[in-house]
Amino acid sequence: MKKEEFLLALEDVLQMEDPLTEDQILTELDEWDSLSKMAVMAYYKKNFGIAINLNDLKDIQSVQDLIEIAGDNISD
Amino acid sequence: MISFNKEQIYIVTGASSGIGEGVALLLNELGATVVGIARNEERLNSMKAKCKYPENMYIEIKDLAEDIDGLPQYVKDLKNKYGKFSGMAYCAGISDIQPLQLLTYPEIDYLFKVNFFAPLFITKGLLDRRNNIGKGTSIVAISSIEAYLNDRGMSKYASSKSALISAYKCMAAEVAQSGIRVNTISPSDIKTPMTMCEAAQSLREHREEKYPMGFGEVSDVANMAIFLLSNSSKWITRQDYIIDCGVM
Repeated sequence: MKKEEFLLALEDVLQMEDPLTEDQILTELDEWDSLSKMAVMAYYKKNFGIAINLNDLKDIQSVQDLIEIAGDNISD
Repeated sequence: MISFNKEQIYIVTGASSGIGEGVALLLNELGATVVGIARNEERLNSMKAKCKYPENMYIEIKDLAEDIDGLPQYVKDLKNKYGKFSGMAYCAGISDIQPLQLLTYPEIDYLFKVNFFAPLFITKGLLDRRNNIGKGTSIVAISSIEAYLNDRGMSKYASSKSALISAYKCMAAEVAQSGIRVNTISPSDIKTPMTMCEAAQSLREHREEKYPMGFGEVSDVANMAIFLLSNSSKWITRQDYIIDCGVM
């Protein structure tokens, strides 16, 4: 998946009104709540086969962090 | 006294007859803007002709069962047309009494589309924070007493309504923190075109005798729906309300 595609998908998962950028700090967003985190976990499992555990989630601060976790699943 | 203003926009499905029509007319009368959805244009227009404030009553012709996956986008399109929604009364539904011998998969599949999958996916669209006003949003769906009675011949109808109650409770838990409320109502026999048709009646002989106050009326359910949509019920969510004059 291309990075742009992922950003659009993430916008939908987080139900964002405004476009997301790679350097967005997630913890600054109202949208980054417990339900959104659950939705991101489900999205990674379904689309990338990656199980994000709660510990990993604590370390996720930015969209960039999420992209890194996806590894080869997201390309430039 | 419950009242609404015209900036509060509500979707009402099944708005062309029965409970949906009752809710659409009452919401409109109390001041809200209503987007009434149903399949039949003629009956939608006759509903609109009865409403108190036609300038706040919009109608949309749509078969909600035909593209379930597209329903969240449909809600988004309606939001772009009318504005962010304050809530919804999901009143579309079909009833079909069928003993086990007659059950077929295509028919149960269709009934589940109308009674369960369509409300699930239209609610998914409405609960997207981009499509609702946030805190104060309230959604109510009409389930049925059959979800509890589990009568003979009701396996498909009752299970679709039970599924609806369960899904709504899960969704209510997901959005409670945002100040959004989600409830269901489970009426028993209400006098509507759907329940009073001949086929339904033949299987319900002597049924009215069961009810100490007789069959219910559309307004008995519509008033409850209005209460649940209004701010008067602001601390009530994730509930199902039985309306059956105490029979169960």
